[in-house]
Amino acid sequence: MNDLAAASAAALTGASAQPKLKVRDVHFYYNGYQALKGINMDIPEKQVTAIIGPSGCGKSTLLRIFNRIYAIYPKLEAKGSIELDGENILDPNYSMNRLRTKVGMVFQKPVPFPMTIFENVAYGIRHHEKLSRADMEIRVEQALRSAALWDEVKDKLKQSALGLSGGQQQRLCIARGIALRPEVLLLDEPTSALDPIATGRIEQLVEELKHEYTIVIVTHNMQQAARVSDRTAFMYMGDLIEFDNTEKIFTKPGKKQTEDYITGRFG
Amino acid sequence: MSALSAEPIPRDTEHRSRTDARHDLIFRLALRFCALLVLAALLGAALSTLWGGRDVLFKDGLHFLFSSDWNPVENQFGALAPIVGTLVTSLIALILAVPVSFGIALFLTEIAPRWMRGPVGAAIELLAAIPSIIYGMWGLFVFVPFMATYIEPWLSDYFGDTSPSGGAQAVRLVIGTLILLIPTLPMFYGALHRWVHGIALTATAMVLALSLSGALSYVLMFSVLPNLFNGPPLGLGLLTAGIVLAVMILPFISSVMREVFQTVPARLKESSYALGSTTWEVVWDIVLPYTRSAVIGGIFLGLGRALGETMAVTFVLGNSYNLTASLLMPGTSISSSIANEFNEAVGLHRSALIALGFLLFVVTFIVLLIARFMLRQLARKEGR
Amino acid sequence: MSAVYARRAVVNVVALALSGLATLIGLAFLVWILWITAQNGLEALKPTLFTKITAYADQGGLANAMVGSLIMDLMALLICAPIGVLAGTYLAEYASASRLGASIRFLNDILLSAPSIVLGLFVYVIVVLPTTELTDGRITFSGFAGSVALALIGLPVIVRTTDEMLQLVPGTLREAALSLGIPQWKLTMQVLMRAAFSGILTGVLLALARLAGETAPLLFTAFGNNFMTAHPLDKMASMPVTIYQYTNDPNPALHAIAWAGALLITLFVLALSLLTRIMFSRKKVSYE
Repeated sequence: MNDLAAASAAALTGASAQPKLKVRDVHFYYNGYQALKGINMDIPEKQVTAIIGPSGCGKSTLLRIFNRIYAIYPKLEAKGSIELDGENILDPNYSMNRLRTKVGMVFQKPVPFPMTIFENVAYGIRHHEKLSRADMEIRVEQALRSAALWDEVKDKLKQSALGLSGGQQQRLCIARGIALRPEVLLLDEPTSALDPIATGRIEQLVEELKHEYTIVIVTHNMQQAARVSDRTAFMYMGDLIEFDNTEKIFTKPGKKQTEDYITGRFG
Repeated sequence: MSALSAEPIPRDTEHRSRTDARHDLIFRLALRFCALLVLAALLGAALSTLWGGRDVLFKDGLHFLFSSDWNPVENQFGALAPIVGTLVTSLIALILAVPVSFGIALFLTEIAPRWMRGPVGAAIELLAAIPSIIYGMWGLFVFVPFMATYIEPWLSDYFGDTSPSGGAQAVRLVIGTLILLIPTLPMFYGALHRWVHGIALTATAMVLALSLSGALSYVLMFSVLPNLFNGPPLGLGLLTAGIVLAVMILPFISSVMREVFQTVPARLKESSYALGSTTWEVVWDIVLPYTRSAVIGGIFLGLGRALGETMAVTFVLGNSYNLTASLLMPGTSISSSIANEFNEAVGLHRSALIALGFLLFVVTFIVLLIARFMLRQLARKEGR
Repeated sequence: MSAVYARRAVVNVVALALSGLATLIGLAFLVWILWITAQNGLEALKPTLFTKITAYADQGGLANAMVGSLIMDLMALLICAPIGVLAGTYLAEYASASRLGASIRFLNDILLSAPSIVLGLFVYVIVVLPTTELTDGRITFSGFAGSVALALIGLPVIVRTTDEMLQLVPGTLREAALSLGIPQWKLTMQVLMRAAFSGILTGVLLALARLAGETAPLLFTAFGNNFMTAHPLDKMASMPVTIYQYTNDPNPALHAIAWAGALLITLFVLALSLLTRIMFSRKKVSYE
C-alpha cells in the first residue's frame, strides 16, 4: 500500500516522476501523408499515461511507434527520436528483439493465439528464455495472477484460449504481454470491444499494474482516461495539443481545443 | 500483486536478434523458392514439350500445323485434323454451355427461392468434381448409344439431307423461322433503322431486314446445316464430344457467372426495378453489362478447360484423322491423339505428339491468360 | 402501350422459364451420370475387386490399382502439400502487394486449369526420359513419375487455398505475435498456420479430390502394371488408368469391373468434395 501512496503522490506532482520514454520531435508518414507533426513528450515511469483525441488524430499511430510495430508494413516512416532509458529506439541498430521484450502491447480486439491458455502465455517466454517446465509453470501462473485471470482459468489451462469470453481473452492478452516482464505496456483501446463489466475489470487491472509497469493507454473514451490515468495527452490532427496531469486536463484545460473536445463540442 | 514479477530478466537479446534475423531470411528464401516452383512448373511444361517436339517442329515447321496428312507408317505428321477437332468440339461445347450456364446463374441469383440456391448451386458444382474418366465412360456406354438412337437420326433426317423431302423442308422452315428469323429480325431492323433513318421510310428498313434475316436463315438451314449434320448416325463424333464437353465445362462457367452476378451492387438493380423493369430486363440491361468482362472471362475459362480436356472426349470422338465438315462423323483432338497413341509411338511420331502437347499448352495458356485478365477487370472495378 | 407491356411480360416469363429449364438440364445430367455410375457400379461390386489383381483380367479385381492409386496419391500430396503451402504462404505473407506476388498468383491460376495431359508430357520429358537413359532402360515409367505429375495437378489448388486462407487471418494476430518479439518465421509456422489450419487442410483435401480422379497425366508417367507393387520406381497401376484400359477393351466383363472402379472413385471424390464443402462453411465462422 505504500507503493500506491507514493505513486499517487508522484502523479499529483507530475514532474517528479522519472521520464521512461522521451519522445523528441517525432514525425510520421505513410505513403507520403504526414500523420504526426513533431511530437514531444515525456512519459513518466510507473504511471498511467492516457492519449485521447478524435479518430484519426494520430494517437494510435504514436502508440504504435513506441514498439515499432508499424515497421511490419511497407511505406511507413517515422522520424525523430524516442529514448527508452536513454537509448533511441528508432535507431535501426536498436534490436527489435530487445525493444519488443521491453515494450509490450495489447490491442483493440482480443487476439489470443490459437493455442491452449497455458501456451498463449508460455509462447512468448519460450522464444526468449530457456526455462524448465516447473519454472515455466511458475511464470505463467504469475502472469495470469497479475492479469487477474488465474482464478478463472486455473482449472482449464489446457483448453483452447478461443473458448474464453471477450473480457477474459483480453486479460489473457495482457497476461501474455506482461509474461515477458516488459518495462512499458502499451494498451491500444483495450476495452473498445468489451462490455461494461469486462471494461471495469480491465480498468481495475490497469490501476494495479501501474506499480510495476509504465503504462500508455490510447482510448477514445474520455471517462476511461479520467478514471485510470495519471497524465493525459490530447492530440488533434497529428499534433500534441496538451499534455498534463489528468486532473488538470479534465478540470482546467490550458487550451481551447482541449476544452472543446472534453466538453463534447467536437470529435 | 507480487513485486518479483517486475524484476527485469537478463537476456541476450542481441544474440537472439541475430539468430532470429538469420532464420527469418532463410525462411523467406525457402518460401520464395517454393513460390517460384509454380512459375517453373509452367515454364517447364512449355519448354519441355517444345524440346520434346523439336524434331517435328524443325523438320516440318508451319507445315506441321496446316497439313492434314497424319500417317505414322510413312512418318508424315500434319496436325490439322486434331487441331480442327479440338477447336470444333470446344466451339460446340461453348455454344451449348454458355446459354445454359447463363440460365443457371440467372436462376440461382435472381429467381430461385433462397433455400434452393445453396443446394442446387452445390449440385451443379458437383458436376465439376466428377472425374473426367467417368464422363468418358458415361459418354461411351450411355450417351453415344443415346445420340445414335434418338438425336442423330433425327438430325440427319431433317437437317442432314442436301435434297430434303417435303416433310424435312417444312420442319426446316418452321425451325429456321422460330430460332433464326424471329430473333434476328428485330436485331437487323434495329441496326438498319438507324442507318436509313431520315433517308427512307421505315418500310425500307423492314424489307431490308426481312430479306437479310431470311437469307441468313435460308443459307443456314439449307446449305450449312446439311453439311454439318450429314452422315450416318454413329453416335461417336464431334457433336457428341462437344455435348459431353459442354456438360463438363458448364459448372465452371456458371459458377463464375453466379459469383460475379452477386457482386452487382443492389442499388443498381433496385433503381432499375424501381423504374418498372422486369427481372429479365434488369439482368439483361444492368447485371450483364456490369459484369461483362468477368462473364467473358468465365467463358474463356470454360474454353480453356474444353480445349485441354482429354478423357471425356477420347472415348466418344472415334479417333479418325479424316477431316469432314460433318459433325456426326468421327474425328480426333489434340489431347485424345496424345492419349491414344503416345504409348505406342516411337521416334518422330512421339515427337509429333509432344509437339501437339506444346501447341495445346500454348493455346490454352493464351486463352486462360485472357480469361484471368478479364476476370481481374471486374475485381479492379470493385476496388479489390 | 399495353402491347409493349404485354410483350415485355412475355419476354420476361419466357426468359425466366428458360433459365429454370437450363438449371433442370444441368441437374438432369448430374443425376443421369451419377445414376448410371451407381447402377452399373453396384451391379459389378464384389469382394474380389479388393482382393485380386488385374493380372487375372476378367477373373480378377482391382487390388493392385487401388494400392497403386493410394500410393501415388499420397506421394503426390507429400510432394505438393509442403511446396504448395509454403508457396501460398509466400504469396499471402511476403508478396501480397508485390509485383512478383501478383504475377505468381496470376500464373498459379493458369496452372490451375492447364491441360493435365500436357503436365503428363512435361513429367514424361523431365522424369521418365532421364531415368530411362540413366539406368539403361531399367527404370522407365514409374510410380514416382506418376506422383510428380499428380503433384502438379494438386499444387495450384493448395497454393491458392493457402493464400486465401492466410489472408483471412486477422492482421492483429500478426501484430500480437510480433509485439512479443516472435520472429516472422515462428509467427507464420506456429501461429498463422494454426489459425488457418482447417482452411489449409481443406485445400489439401480439395487437391486430393482433384488429383485422385486424374487419368491423363498418369498414362505416360506411371503407365500401368498388372501386378501388385509398392516400389515407387516400378511401373504402377492406378484406378483411373485401369478404368481407361478396361473401357477401351472389347470384353464386357472388363467393362463391369471398370464400372465398379468408376463407382468407387466417384464416391471417393464426391465424399471428399462434400467434406471440404462442410469444412469450408465451418471455417468462415471460426475466426471472425
